[in-house]
Amino acid sequence: MTEQPPDVESAGENVAGETPVAEPEAVTDETTVHDDDVELERTIGLVGGLAIGIGTMIGAGIFVFPGLAANNAGLAATLSFAIGGLIALLVALPTSELATAMPRSGGGYYFISRGMGTAYGAIVGLGLWLGLMFASAFYLVGLGHYASAVFAELGVSLPFSPVIGIGLLFGAALTALSIGGTENTAKIQNVVVGILLVVLTAFLSYGVLDAVGVFGGGTVPEQFFSRGYFPVLTTAALVFTSYLGFAQVATVAGEIKQPGRNLPLAMVGSVLVVTVFYVVTIFVATSAFGADRLGQFGETAMVEVAREFLGLPGAVAILGAGLLATFSSANASILSASRAVYALSRDALLPRKASEVNLRYGTPHVALLAAGGPILVLVATGQVELLAEVASFLHLIMYGLMCVALIVLRRRNPEWYSPSYRVPGYPVVPAVGTLASFGLIAFMQPASIGIGIVVMLVSYLWYRYYAGSVTLKGDI
Amino acid sequence: MTDRPSILVPLRVLEGESVPEGVPELLANAHVVLLGYHVVPEQTAPGQAQMQFEDRATERLDEYQAMFEEAGATVERRLVFTHDGQKTIDRTTTEHDCLAALVPNATGPVEDVLVAVRGTVGVDRLARVVAGLFGATDASVTLYHVSEEAETDEDVATLLDGLADRLEDQGMDASRIETRVGRGQAALDAIVDAADAFDVVVMGESDPSLATFVFGMPADQVADRFLGPVLVVQREPSEETE
Repeated sequence: MTEQPPDVESAGENVAGETPVAEPEAVTDETTVHDDDVELERTIGLVGGLAIGIGTMIGAGIFVFPGLAANNAGLAATLSFAIGGLIALLVALPTSELATAMPRSGGGYYFISRGMGTAYGAIVGLGLWLGLMFASAFYLVGLGHYASAVFAELGVSLPFSPVIGIGLLFGAALTALSIGGTENTAKIQNVVVGILLVVLTAFLSYGVLDAVGVFGGGTVPEQFFSRGYFPVLTTAALVFTSYLGFAQVATVAGEIKQPGRNLPLAMVGSVLVVTVFYVVTIFVATSAFGADRLGQFGETAMVEVAREFLGLPGAVAILGAGLLATFSSANASILSASRAVYALSRDALLPRKASEVNLRYGTPHVALLAAGGPILVLVATGQVELLAEVASFLHLIMYGLMCVALIVLRRRNPEWYSPSYRVPGYPVVPAVGTLASFGLIAFMQPASIGIGIVVMLVSYLWYRYYAGSVTLKGDI
Repeated sequence: MTDRPSILVPLRVLEGESVPEGVPELLANAHVVLLGYHVVPEQTAPGQAQMQFEDRATERLDEYQAMFEEAGATVERRLVFTHDGQKTIDRTTTEHDCLAALVPNATGPVEDVLVAVRGTVGVDRLARVVAGLFGATDASVTLYHVSEEAETDEDVATLLDGLADRLEDQGMDASRIETRVGRGQAALDAIVDAADAFDVVVMGESDPSLATFVFGMPADQVADRFLGPVLVVQREPSEETE
């Protein structure tokens, strides 16, 4: 067992007079130890970690974005996804190092607040919480599109578009399910991810063989940069929402067994897996129809792609997979958002009440409602691209700052900082990661950037008002 | 006197499980590893439950610790918040090198102990638990083996006498040790039937097999059907596989 005493001291109190909870005495492979005889058990293994990462990510990139991305960038959308994957990897590596040094609940928020101070932490922590809400809302709208497509497939024509209504319904249902204490959510997540990967692998293998001409199709007709070069980058900024999942692994870092080994493997592994799937998906999808027609299909373009290759059974399989995937992404994000609330209230940046556990169900009902409620408001807007971009923006800020935090920590080298995994290529990798994260923001729509900045500003003002005297930075 | 055997006493401390009557006296000669644990659903970070319930749980454990110490046991304790109670129990057993775990049920003064002996494996640990806990008391110990068809009486006698010898080596009076053999019944039913006349059952933990995944560990089944406490002697810790 490796004993790593985090030994980060926190101080100060918030408006309500609450102080940050004491830091643990030691972190071992199996537990987090407080006060000598109180332990928090680590119960999520490598498979569980991968399932959280892949399960959160695989919904958006494959089932919502292909049509939108192809519409923007043509076949070059494959490159957009590859760029997104590369940036995610550049951030996942430094995140892994931070996570092995500080395997605690809260992920990016925890690393930044301990590495760079409370103000940055508060902006990122509240930003992460809100960013996850935007992401969940985005997944739920995607789910609404898939559920509507099911109605269309069944030949039921509705006089209105059911997309938002279904999104709201599922949002409310997911929140209620989480509060009611569904058992074995993690096991279900593992199974769902397994099924998705099998269905997608089969489908994509067939699609690739078809696209390169094995079955006589042989249609890779397009000019690669059919929309020019610039849209490749704006599309990368848009679809970056597909890569938010690895950070969700870090939000449950406190519950991962053998964190020194499993955290880096789960984060980097899940990014690599989904990048391959995304790139191949866009390639197959654009080969089947060409970017123009694919773009017209919108959010459920993949259903048409499947129908083109495999007929009605293909369409049904992808519809089912799309429902599962968007559902599991939304679910994972709501749970991560409640973990973020817990981490913030533990550090007295939010009222302690916010992470109160329900006596009857044992679930953090206030935190879950605090995530679920605003999500419904966001779903009601129905703005897929805007929701996705704001979620990306808030995460990209966090990613950039995580890379900075890593550089700061390495330079100051405080006594407690002893990661068991060290990022290769320091300082180039975290520096490039920072630049890439912040750089990608420049290619977003002004509206998304504006909303994102407002969120950050409000977060900062909240911190000044509510917890101005709290310091979390520790002995560095 | 022999060394105090370490006995794990797991309690779901926030769900009303407490130390039943008679149990502190039963473990008076033991080194008690008192494990208070609380299982939280996967939606909840264990730390969240800790923030809210630590004080209450600590208070209860203080109380229980005092009860065991009053009876004469030495006590070491853990409070664990977990998603997976079984993992917590297994880990604590290994980390504290516990010889046995107690399934706590109420009991009166212990006069008769039933020791279910399965085979030669683990006999050493079984002997250490029985001798350690009951060596210095007046309780009588019955070594019980349910034999299978292929086993000869000699095999069984060798097994039970071997254990009896060990107990005597560790200072137990031979007159307090009886042996008994059961036949023609499924081991589990036989043990439960025989247990009726006893205050405590000591038995070995069996290997996890498919049947135990479906029906639960035999020890758990005995504990469910027998109303008194059951001491489950743990397997020799295997070499680290990970």
